[in-house]
Amino acid sequence: MALLEVKELVKSYGGRNVLDGVSFDLEEGEAKVVMGPSGCGKSTLLRCLNLLIEPTSGSILLDGKDITRPGADVRALRSRIGFVFQNFALYRHMSVLDNVTLALRRLKKVPRREAEERALHELDRMEMADKRDAYPAALSGGQSQRVAIARALAMDPKVLFFDEPTSALDPIMVREVVTLINGLYLDNVTILCVTHDLGLAKHISDRVVFLDQGRVYAEDLIENLLRRDDPVIEDFFGEG
Amino acid sequence: MSFIEILQILLQGAGYTLLITFSCAATALVVGLAIAMARELGGAWISAVLSAWVYVFRGVPMLVLLFVVFFGLPGVGLDVPPLLAMMLSLGFISGAYLSEVFRGALAAINPNEVLAAQAMGFTRFETLRLIKLPQMLRFSVPGMINELTTVLKYSPFAYTVGLPEITKQAMALVATTMRGIEIYVAIGLIYFAIYRLLLSFVRLIEKRYAVPGFAEE
Repeated sequence: MALLEVKELVKSYGGRNVLDGVSFDLEEGEAKVVMGPSGCGKSTLLRCLNLLIEPTSGSILLDGKDITRPGADVRALRSRIGFVFQNFALYRHMSVLDNVTLALRRLKKVPRREAEERALHELDRMEMADKRDAYPAALSGGQSQRVAIARALAMDPKVLFFDEPTSALDPIMVREVVTLINGLYLDNVTILCVTHDLGLAKHISDRVVFLDQGRVYAEDLIENLLRRDDPVIEDFFGEG
Repeated sequence: MSFIEILQILLQGAGYTLLITFSCAATALVVGLAIAMARELGGAWISAVLSAWVYVFRGVPMLVLLFVVFFGLPGVGLDVPPLLAMMLSLGFISGAYLSEVFRGALAAINPNEVLAAQAMGFTRFETLRLIKLPQMLRFSVPGMINELTTVLKYSPFAYTVGLPEITKQAMALVATTMRGIEIYVAIGLIYFAIYRLLLSFVRLIEKRYAVPGFAEE
């Protein structure tokens, strides 16, 4: 049984289907990348998967349980999915350490000392432990992204979602973050990553789900996709 | 009457001015925060009602509202003491203005931070309390200083409902001593000292909660 099963997922806005029957699976320990042209529904898909956006129809099974059913515990679901955003989304009024411990202390009710130990472990993994008392304004883009990843990992999620993790970074920081995510991939962290970045996709993915106009246009290994003689896919990778 | 005696009477009035200013400022903060939070957490209907409330209170002259509360309400059987009348008029009008200051500060918060909190599993109330409110208060400091200064400057209206605040004391003293210049300059300086006190109070809060690189002036 796959860790995450997405079946015929539809999201409509004013009669227009942004997602139009998307289906795919994500196995435990797998890293899957979602790619596709701008406006194909990638970010909407990610937000539907942890119910930040309510899907119009279809089902999402996490560990075999349908999270879209009425009465599903959204809070419990979200605490099992780590989410790393494009623009890091660190809380500007909190130190690095408080950013990482906040959800542990408030949602999982972990005592402060234990939460700090766990946070420092994850910050150390991201080579950011020495910045524990710094505030987000003092961090570079790459450092902010490391803290955002540590914050997500501290909750010990079943799966980690990345929404365009490299798009707000300069090329040097992109390499840094790609290496970092690749490290998570090698550590068998289950990853679902939305990106435009071919380099990132090559480094971290087992398979790529290629979306076009709200549908799964293709799902394959990245090297197979790159070899395909298909105008839609060639257009996309040609742009990248 | 010596100038020392005049100053003693003026300082008694200054005590009333302080009392009126802090009571009305506290009312304004409570009203402003309550409106800002209800707008954030309530639905469209609540938001529409509160917008209308703010619109009305920002548009009514302070003295008119004070007279409605103090002289009007006894007509329907509600006797309102002078200080309470000031809090219900000046405090509520200032609260309406402060709610707009808070609304602007809330709009300045990075929406991705709110999204990140929701993605972690925080409820709307928790997101408001842990992420939005602390940032909103920091962003609001300049607007709050403006509004609290306005409260101080409107406090002389309290003499119209019989509170012996400093301007009323000064007017009475000028009428009996004819030393207008000295007395009015003296109360001007006392008002300025109270303004500095208010400012120091807000700056103390600002300093206590300062975050490096965040909402600095």
